[in-house]
Order: sequence, then structure tokens, then C-alpha cells
Amino acid sequence: MSHEHLGEFELIVLLALIRLGSNAYGVPIRCEIEKRARRTVTVGALYRTLDRLESKGYVASWLGDPSPARGGRSKRYFRIEPLGLQALRRTERELAAMWEGIDLRKVPHVS
Amino acid sequence: MFRKPWRFMEWLFRLRYGKSAEFVLGDVMEEYTIGGKSRWWVCRQLWSTYGPAPAALSIRKEKQEQMTWPIGNEIRYAARTLSRNPGFAALAIVTIALGVGGNAAIFSLLNAVALRPLPVPDSGQLVSVYQIFQGKRSRSVMGEESMFSVEEYRTYRDTNHVFTGIVAYSPFLEATLGGETPHEYLGTYGSCNYFDLLGEAPAIGRGFLPSDCAAAGSGAVVVLSHDLWRDRFSSDPDFAGKAVILNGTPFTVVGVAQPAFHGTEAAYSYFWVPFTAEPVLAARNGAKVYGNANMSWLSLIGKLKPGEAMAHVRADLAVIAARIDRQYPGRSTTLAIDTATFASLPEARGIVMGVGAVILTAVAMVLLIVCANLANLLLARAVGRQKEIAIRLAVGATRAQLVRQLITESLLVALVGGAVGCAASFAAFGAILRSIQSHLPREVPQFHLQTGPDWRVLAYSLAITIVTGMGFGLVPALRATKIDLQGASKRPRGFLRGGLVGAQVAVCMTLLIAAGLLLHALYDAQNVDPGFQMKDTLTVAFHLDGMNYETARATEFQRQLLEAAAALPGVDAVAQARVTPLSDNHVGYGGLTPSGSTQERNAEVNVVSPGYFSMLHLPIVRGREFRNGETNAAIVTESTARRWWGGADAIGQTIRVDSSPISQVVVVGVARDAQISHLGRSNDTYVYFTASPEDQSHLQLLVHSRLNQQAAIRRLVHRLDPNLALDIAPLEDNLKWWRTPVSIAGALAGSLGALALLIALLGIYGVAAFMAGRRVREIGIRMALGADAAAVQQLILRQSMLPVLIGAVLGIAGCAAVSKVLSGILFGLSAYDPLAFVGVPILLIGCAALASHLPARRASRIDPVHALRHE
Repeated sequence: MSHEHLGEFELIVLLALIRLGSNAYGVPIRCEIEKRARRTVTVGALYRTLDRLESKGYVASWLGDPSPARGGRSKRYFRIEPLGLQALRRTERELAAMWEGIDLRKVPHVS
Repeated sequence: MFRKPWRFMEWLFRLRYGKSAEFVLGDVMEEYTIGGKSRWWVCRQLWSTYGPAPAALSIRKEKQEQMTWPIGNEIRYAARTLSRNPGFAALAIVTIALGVGGNAAIFSLLNAVALRPLPVPDSGQLVSVYQIFQGKRSRSVMGEESMFSVEEYRTYRDTNHVFTGIVAYSPFLEATLGGETPHEYLGTYGSCNYFDLLGEAPAIGRGFLPSDCAAAGSGAVVVLSHDLWRDRFSSDPDFAGKAVILNGTPFTVVGVAQPAFHGTEAAYSYFWVPFTAEPVLAARNGAKVYGNANMSWLSLIGKLKPGEAMAHVRADLAVIAARIDRQYPGRSTTLAIDTATFASLPEARGIVMGVGAVILTAVAMVLLIVCANLANLLLARAVGRQKEIAIRLAVGATRAQLVRQLITESLLVALVGGAVGCAASFAAFGAILRSIQSHLPREVPQFHLQTGPDWRVLAYSLAITIVTGMGFGLVPALRATKIDLQGASKRPRGFLRGGLVGAQVAVCMTLLIAAGLLLHALYDAQNVDPGFQMKDTLTVAFHLDGMNYETARATEFQRQLLEAAAALPGVDAVAQARVTPLSDNHVGYGGLTPSGSTQERNAEVNVVSPGYFSMLHLPIVRGREFRNGETNAAIVTESTARRWWGGADAIGQTIRVDSSPISQVVVVGVARDAQISHLGRSNDTYVYFTASPEDQSHLQLLVHSRLNQQAAIRRLVHRLDPNLALDIAPLEDNLKWWRTPVSIAGALAGSLGALALLIALLGIYGVAAFMAGRRVREIGIRMALGADAAAVQQLILRQSMLPVLIGAVLGIAGCAAVSKVLSGILFGLSAYDPLAFVGVPILLIGCAALASHLPARRASRIDPVHALRHE
């Protein structure tokens, strides 16, 4: 079985899901990424990524109950699946192997 | 709360994803209400969901694809299916092209006449104004009653708040242009601002100046049309400032109009004079037109102020109308205000719309046949596609999807056929119009119509194309998909197909009988004996009244002309008449009281000279003709004598004439009834009077000669008055007036009928062939069991001819119900003419029998062994 590699934004989204635990739906995921990674994320980009992850089997989703604050609309919760965890570990290993022995301060033209 | 930009984005979002991705809207609303984000942020977020479709937003991917491009697949599939059946596609496209093309052409004509704004700059801002009177009134009319007087025009011009300006004009002014060959032309009286307001500055020189219209009788200036300037004055560039003679009066040419400008009516205007010149140019001796405040003779066109609504215009002008009404107790006026077109005049509009509706109904009937025919073809084709449909249903397609697929196919065919038909009709329309124009009698003025398609024609064509596509596609589509999977091989009943054939035959029969009636009437009109002699007689028409001849001068002119014409070689009789036989001119009188009665009667009247009856070989059955110098005498027709005096002798009876200097005339003769006034009608109430001195300026000359003396007569008249316009023609030319409407209607009904017959026969043949094809196996069994070819043919014929016969009976009944409408132009032919009502059905049923016979004969030649193997 050939492994799919995670893209950078996919990695960030999966990490956000782990951080949020049972409260992982659109709004907190977006806020978590904006707060920690300090990057602007649009709803469209976020859901496109979540869709891709779901189609790979890395995450699962389900609809919660409707709430008045959302105009009677449901939340769509996401949870990381075992395949997603494996992909995270693989990526972590790959990145660690790549970072090993690198000190950016010693790289020329990098300050 | 959602506000406007948000709502729009929300609507777009729902349009794309449906209800399945509501959680996204929930997210953004939560951040908006709790997180304090702005509305624009919300919009940006929703916008970000567009682009390549994020499938996570959608619960059902299948639905999402449908929403993205709802009918793309169907169109592609339909195109593929049709390209696999090029024969069917071509037949369907040609049939639709014929039907839609015919409809588009007729609508284009109606549009050009009655719906299109005038062909001048800013025509969308121009509105026509006419008045419709109710209640008690006594009003003089020159033209139509709905027109205005100069005083009324001034009141509307000066007191309205909605127009930047109003022009008044009086079309159809006939005036004689003097010169080497005097000729009568149609012109227009216009108010001073005529050219300025219409935005049609003359190509050479100028329009009218305020000084041209200063007072009644002023303004002997004229603007010529480009055509007149080119044809009569050889496009002389220095022509402005020179003088021309109109009705014997010199007018200074101040300008030449733009080449494309022919006035504000469909009929060409060849010149324009200020309306203040009316008293100078006036042809009516003593008739007061310009100064009469209660005279209808001017049409009004106003130019709207920018942004002015029609409701406001109507309200503003209604106030003025009510103010004018106060001067005429008992009268109330409503105004007809519409975008100015060639048929704005309410009286003309009524006629155009009425005739247009009848013709549109006829071409719509052809379209109906087209629909019925194609529906039948599709039904037959659906049987062949049952397997495909059954398979698609079996693998999960819904009925709605299949119906949509089949309708897409018929719409695609309809759109292609409609486009082909419209393109052909738009290309041919101008040529057809020119051909009609060249066949009209020469007295009909030249007219100009914009023949190119505009948005109205395109919208109409698109609408009828879509209706056609739905019309022939819907029922077969519903029918074809109504099969259960097990019953795919079950034979469908032929009731619907038979019904469609019956409907085609019924509609076709109606059109063909109407065509038959008109063609029979046309034949009669060519060969009719009107009851008097027309051969070798010339009519010499001139308008002394138009040249302002006073009574004494007119009498002397007529005397000299009569004597000189009688002396020409070959001339054996001359006579004068106010109205020549069967001309388009009719003079009616309402104030005739025959002796023995106190009641006023109506009659058509004519003023004739002695010798009129003998020249035309119109027998006087009692009494005698008029004598030379006789006055106060009358001759009545047999029908008139019978109607007015019953069995009593008409000779010696008197007729009192109101509103005439001759208050009482004595009947001296009774003429045989003849079709003297209307072709095909000889029993009119018709009275001939002797000419009074006042009649002299209205009389025309009739010359009977075995030699062609046209040139000699022209020289005679020219010698007496070189400025008099003259029209010399054989008396038989008057018949053209009567033949033209029926020949146009006959040609139209004939070609529509032939088209309908062709389409219907194709349909009948197709259905018979299909039925025979479906019953090959059954026929094989019958023949194997001993049936002969005749029995098999009978079987097929019976089945295919039954709907034809039912349709034929319905068609005959339908036509009998509506043929009364045609009776006005049938020249006395019965609206239930046996030739049309028996001949046409025999023709149609014969053709239908032939069309069904071919497949029946083929079926009867089937080899039973081969047929029994047939699947």
C-alpha cells in the first residue's frame, strides 16, 4: 500500500483536530489555526481540506444537533481516524529525519 | 439578521449546494453573531466556498453535480442520440422549420406594421395621441374621427407637462405636382416643429421655420422627399429655393428630406408642407379645415420628457381632454396614448390586429399539425427505444430523469428547426414583401416597412419554438417512460397515434376548405359577368376639385373635353361619371326620401351623363336614359325600385334629397341590376342622378374606342390644362381592386393548405407504415392461414383510415362553423360552396388513402415464412 503524504495545511488541520478533541467543528478549527499558526483561513479552504482528508479516510464527520445561535443549523463535527493518526506519525518521522542535524543559524544567508 | 449582501451570497450558496451544506451557513452565522465578524467577512467566507466543488459541503455528490450544470449531460446525450438517427432528425428539423418559419414571417409583418416604433431617432420616446369620443357630438372629419383640430393641438402643446414637444401632422394629402407630366403625389401637412422633433433634419436645405407657420394661409414652402427629388428633379443639388407647382399654386422648395425618411405613416410621403398652407392647398371648395376648431384632421406625436411614466402622461393629458370637453356639452373624450407606430391610429389598429389575428390563427394551425405529426413520429420512435428505456429504468434512472432526457431531445430538435426556419423566413421576408407590393393595384401607395427582425420577433420565435418542442415532445415522453420493466415488449395501444392523425386531418381539412372557397371565388372573379360591358373602355381620371376649379370653369372644361374626346378617331361613345363602375370609390347618401314614404333611406349614388347606360350596355328595363341638358332626374336599379315602391311603377315617382340644392328629383328610368358597385353583389340600393353644376368638378370621363387612344386623350387634357394630373387606364383595371384581396388571401390559404396537406400526408403515411411494420408477424400468420393480399390490405387500410375519416368529418364541421368569416370576400359565392365542401374532402381523403395504401400494399406482399420469423 502506497502512503499518501500530508500537505502542510492538511497537517495543520489534523493537529487542530487533536487539540480540540470532542469540540472540533468548523468555527473552533478555524479559530485554533488562526490563533496558533497566525494564518488566515477561509471557510471554503478549510472545508475543501477536510473533505480531502475524509475521502482519504483520515477523518470522520457527523452532524450534531441544531442550535439557536446558528439560526437553527447543525454543527458538523470532525474526529481524527486511526489512518489519520498513522499519517501524522509518518509525517512527524519524515520531518524529524529531515530536520535532524540542521541548525538554521549556521546556514549561509540565513539569519 | 441577514442583510442584503449576505442574503445574496446565501442564495448563491444554496443554489449550488442545496440544503445539504447548511452547517457551513451555521458556522459563518455563529462567527457573525458571537464572534463579531463583519457582514463583508461573511460574504468573503461564503464566496470562498465557490471554485472547485468541495465535496465535503455536500452530503450527496450526485446531487451536487446536477446542481453545478443541470442539463449539460442531457444536451450532450440528446445530440448524440439525434446524430445516430440523422433521417429522423432531418425530417423533424425541416418540418419544424416550415412551421416556425411561417409563423415568424407572419408575426414579422404584423410587428413591422403595428408594433415596431417609428423608424426615426429616439423612437422609444415618441408616443402617439388620439382621442376617442363618446356621447353626443357633431364633428367634421377629414381622415378619421380620432384626429385633432389645430386648436386642440395647440391646447395640448401649450398646456401639457409631460412632453418636450408635440408635432401635428395630417397624412394622405393628395396634391398634383405640376410640370411637363403633372402627377398626383401623396404628401403630409406638418406642424412647424415636424422635422426638429422627429430628429429628421433634411439632407439638403432646411425644415420649417416659425415664419413659415405664422398664420393661416402662410407658408407656401415645401420639403421634398429624397425619392421625389431624385426621380422628378434629377437630384439637382441647387434645387432648394426653386419653385414647384402644387395644385396649381407655386411653392418654394426649402429642403430635401433624408433618403431613408418617408414620413410617419407606412405609406410613402413624397412632400411635406406646413399645415398653415392648408387653406391655400385645400382641395375642398369652401370646406373649412384649418380654422375649424371642431374638425378632426391632425394626428399628434409627442416626445416624452426623460423618465416620464406613461401613467403620468395619461393622467396629465386626460385633464386637458376634460377641459376641452367642457366646450362641447354631452361629449366625453378618452385618449388613446401608445408608443408611436405605423398603425397607431385606433381605427387602423383595430383592422390590422383583427386581420393579423386571423392569419396568425391560420399559421398556428399549421404549427399544430407540425406538432401532431412530430408527436406521432416520436411515439413511433419510442416503441423502438423501449429496450433502451427499460434498461435505463432497470439500472436506477428515475422516470423524471428519462422524461427530462426525452424532452431535451425534442427541445434540441425544435431549437435547431426553429433557428433554420427563422433564418430562412427573415432572409426571404423582404423579397416576399416586395413581390406582394409589385402585385398590388397601382393605386395603392408605395409603403415602407422595416423587415429586419427585432427583439419582439426573436422573442416570439423563441417562444413558439419552445412551445413547439414541448408540444410535440411532452406527451410522447410521458407515454414512452410509462412502461413497467416486465411489460417492455407489450404493444402500446394506437389510440393516441390515431387521435393525433385525426387532429392533423381536421386542421388540414379546415385550411384546405378555406383555400378551396377562396380559390373558387377567385376563379369566379376572373370570369364573372358583372352585367355590363367593360371591354374597350378607358377611364380618364382627374381631379378638378384638387386644382381649385370653380363651377363655371369646371363646366367649360368638361364640355370641351367631352366634345374633343368624342371627335377622336375610333371613339364611338363618351360619357361622364362621378364614380366609375367597380372602382374603389363609393358615395353613400343617407338623406333620400322616396315618394310614398316619410322615412329617410340610405343608398349608394352616382352622378352620370346621358349616354352612360348605352355605352356600358347596361339595359334600361323601364323608362329611358337621361337626356342632354336634363336636370333633377334620377334612374334607379330594379332592386331599388322594388325596395322603395314595391309593385308600383317607379317611373314618375320622386325622391327628396336632403342637404342638396336639388331638393327633389323625378325617376325617369329603371336600370337592370348589375354588379356596378361591388363585385358579386347586384342587388345594392343604387340611384343615378343627373349632374348639377356643382358636380362638374368631380366628374370623370369614360371613353369607348376600338383604337387605343390613351396618348391622344392625354394630349387633349394637357392642351386644356397642362397642370392637371391624369390617370388613364382600361376600365377592366377596376377589377383588380376586387381581385387583389382574394388573390392574396387565396395564395396564403392555398400555400398554407398545401403545406398542411403535405405534412399531414407524411404523418398518415408514417403511421400506416409503422402499424404495418408492427403487425408483420400477425400478417404472416393470417396469410399462412389463407388470407389473401386484398384482405391484408383492407386490414391495414381500415386501421389507418378510421382516424382520417373521423378527422375529416370534424374538419368539415369546423370549417362550416368558421367559413362565414370569409363570406365578405367571396363575391357572392356561398360560404358553404358545394365544390369546396365536397371536392376538398374527396381530394384529402383520396390522398390519405393513397398514403396508407403504399404501406398496406407492401404489407400484403410479405412472404409468410419470412414474416413468421420476424421479431
